[in-house]
Amino acid sequence: MFRFSLRRILLFSITLWLLSIFTFSLNYWYPGNTLTNMSGVTPAMDTYHDEANARAMDSTIFRQYGQYIAHLTRGDWGLSLTSQEPVFPRLMQQLGATVELMILGALLAVLVGVPLGVYAALQQRQWQDRLILSLSLSTYSIPVFWFAQLAILLFAIQLDWSPVTGQIHPLYAIDTQTGSILVDIWLSDIPYRASAWVNALKHLWLPTLVVALIPLTMLVRMIRSAVLDTLQLNHIKAARVRGLSDRTILVKHVLPTSIQPVLREAGLQFSVLVTNIMIVEVIFNWPGIGSALVKSIFERDYPVLQGGVICLAMLILAVNFAVDLIHAWRFPQVRDVIDED
Amino acid sequence: MTRWLLAAVCLSLAGCGPLKTHEQIIHDGLVYCSEGNPESFNPQLDTSGTTVDATSAQLYNRLIDYDAEQQIFVPGLAHRWETLDQGQRYRFHLRQQVNFHHTPWFSPTRPFQAEDVLFSFQRWLDPQHPYHTINGGQYPFFRASGLMQLIARIEIIDPWTVDFVLTRIDSSFLANLATDFAVILSAEYAQQLTEQGTPELLDRQPVGTGPFQFIEFRKDSFIRYAANPSYWQGKPAVNHLVYAITPNANKRMLKLLTGECDVIAYPLVQELEQLDDNTTIKVTRSASPNRAFWAFNTARPPFDQTLVRQALAHAINRPAMIQTIYHGQAQLAAGILPSTSWAYQANATGYPYDPQRAKELLKQAGFPNGFTMSIWAPAIQRVYNPNALRMAELMQADLAQVGIEAQIISYEWNTFRQRMARGEHDTALIGWVADNADPDNFLRPLLSCEAVRSGANRTNWCDPDFDQQLLAAIQLTDKEQRQQLYQRIETHVMHQVPLLPIASSLRFEAHRQNITGVELPPYGGIRFGNARRLTHVPL
Repeated sequence: MFRFSLRRILLFSITLWLLSIFTFSLNYWYPGNTLTNMSGVTPAMDTYHDEANARAMDSTIFRQYGQYIAHLTRGDWGLSLTSQEPVFPRLMQQLGATVELMILGALLAVLVGVPLGVYAALQQRQWQDRLILSLSLSTYSIPVFWFAQLAILLFAIQLDWSPVTGQIHPLYAIDTQTGSILVDIWLSDIPYRASAWVNALKHLWLPTLVVALIPLTMLVRMIRSAVLDTLQLNHIKAARVRGLSDRTILVKHVLPTSIQPVLREAGLQFSVLVTNIMIVEVIFNWPGIGSALVKSIFERDYPVLQGGVICLAMLILAVNFAVDLIHAWRFPQVRDVIDED
Repeated sequence: MTRWLLAAVCLSLAGCGPLKTHEQIIHDGLVYCSEGNPESFNPQLDTSGTTVDATSAQLYNRLIDYDAEQQIFVPGLAHRWETLDQGQRYRFHLRQQVNFHHTPWFSPTRPFQAEDVLFSFQRWLDPQHPYHTINGGQYPFFRASGLMQLIARIEIIDPWTVDFVLTRIDSSFLANLATDFAVILSAEYAQQLTEQGTPELLDRQPVGTGPFQFIEFRKDSFIRYAANPSYWQGKPAVNHLVYAITPNANKRMLKLLTGECDVIAYPLVQELEQLDDNTTIKVTRSASPNRAFWAFNTARPPFDQTLVRQALAHAINRPAMIQTIYHGQAQLAAGILPSTSWAYQANATGYPYDPQRAKELLKQAGFPNGFTMSIWAPAIQRVYNPNALRMAELMQADLAQVGIEAQIISYEWNTFRQRMARGEHDTALIGWVADNADPDNFLRPLLSCEAVRSGANRTNWCDPDFDQQLLAAIQLTDKEQRQQLYQRIETHVMHQVPLLPIASSLRFEAHRQNITGVELPPYGGIRFGNARRLTHVPL
């Protein structure tokens, strides 16, 4: 395990390093002033020369890269070109909003997808199985942006069960601290917290549902086939022969084994989830990192663009890294297999 | 059974409890869904309608205001004014006991005084002023309207009397002072910021005398304002005013329908009739002194040739655009001045759609096979143009008929404006909303040489002769003589066509039936000072 972890950490660091080289080079590839692209400080500002010194602009490219990394790790990610605000604190708030949607969406996908998949496997070739499978296949085929629009039309406009967009009704004056609306309400000292919760949840459930949908259908199908494979294994048959109850077999023997291939796949699916979240954020005006990234592309706001790319890339890398570690820790037999890859 | 009933009662109580507070919160405030981010919180710094709508009438006051209905100037922070020295000196008597906003970042120790007027004007008048270069140092309206050259000096007579001395007699001076740009800032706040070493906050954490005070701005999300409790015209009825920034026009409409927005900016023109049928929504239409036009960047060949510009003007089918883009809710523009202006002449000669003539003109100009060019079109709705991108597509097709290959270019609104000010465009679909009723306001800010320098002249067309005539026109006090001169100017401009006027649109605003008092003056931005929410919808 130790050797495995060490290798993973090494791989993770190398990927991070390559990522930093890439984002660093972007500053030179974008049109315009390199220092401005990097820091958001324009030549018209008084601080321009200080910034140029701080980032070693008149020195070698290696020192510039060193300063770039130093600034990144210090949390000094420059200023936005459109709002002149520091990029890092704003991105962290936006990350909070994104992670909130991500966690809730993933949670919903797991809570609904796993039981459905297991159920479908147990009812293999029955009508329940066919129904679940065909439903999951057809929902999987709907593009997210289309489904989001349909959901808004149905739930927000026709049924009025949910507002059209946003995190909370704008008249609720909730201070943005973490970016996650539920946490922010909890941290705030407003007198009407209860109704703020209700209102936030009303805003939250629809985007969560849309985000969860694709991973959910994926999970259903992966769990189903994993459970079916596991059911064929000898130790399950042996358990059955010994007269263990169906329930015990399922919970103690089938599920833990079936999780293994699913977990591996889930790490890879995470980047799909992130892509979907970006689309959902734009459609639901969710103040997360995805909509900020899309907006910064339109505005040619390079410091924000770069910050958003670093944030999301790091998030995906970190989650994959964590999934790998958990996977290897939980299923020792895969350590060597993964190492060989 | 009883148990179920009990549970149901509990549930409904739990449901009602927070809901009641929710209604209180909603009742206490108003949500305006606006179309974009303001560039700053000080309208002195730019001329974008989005910034003006977000700031001028909410945060600030002006010395005088213009009442478009009665066509007179009405008192603002100056309760009385008089003309001295045959019109070269204006004396303003200031209102006393007017307080600046009391905010967490600033506590005023004195009421509004002449010193504040001096500061607000010197900031852009005097290049040596410590605040002149803060946040860009561009004051496009004052530069383009000529106020910078017009005001010779400002004299404080006593704390509540201030004199403006002009370099020459100018009949448009008061009209310019009444615009949304001539706002009054606090000199005391500026001083505090200088001491703190954060002068740039003057335009980001604003302090004014207006009906609302600034609370918070989150880019791409919202602007939060609260009622100014000690507003000199009385505390506004709306306690919390929120601008929910919603650039997508369809979403604004949907949010209006669901009640998430109380008032929306720029409803979709093609959906207006549907909104009219909806009993919970009210649409107001008002004439607006605006012009959509096609500006040719005359600094770039081949648009420096008059023949080419004339050819392009003949090549596009403007009447078709009135139908497809404006859905008939606009007037075809014959000249530069809108029909609401007193100097407007009905017999202005336009450029009829004539591809044959366009081809001939192109041949004369030396482009028998046409050329390639770009059309810049903003991706967001403006008062004067509900869908510039679509318009550009129509023009693209029209231009292809005369052998010109046009490419459509668009950027996010603020980027678009910045790039255009740098003159990066070939041609642009843009427009202008007059800030005051004076005809000068339609010509000088758009086409003068001074406006080229400030970046507001999208055509980069500079004709000293034209500037001379403008100057002559503004020094006349006789309205009839002025009118004749403006007609001559207009004929000259239309012959040169640095820009081709397209249409002037009606201005729309849609709001929920239970909101009243939202004002949309023809010269200026939206006003929420008198807005209120009715508890019961009037029948």
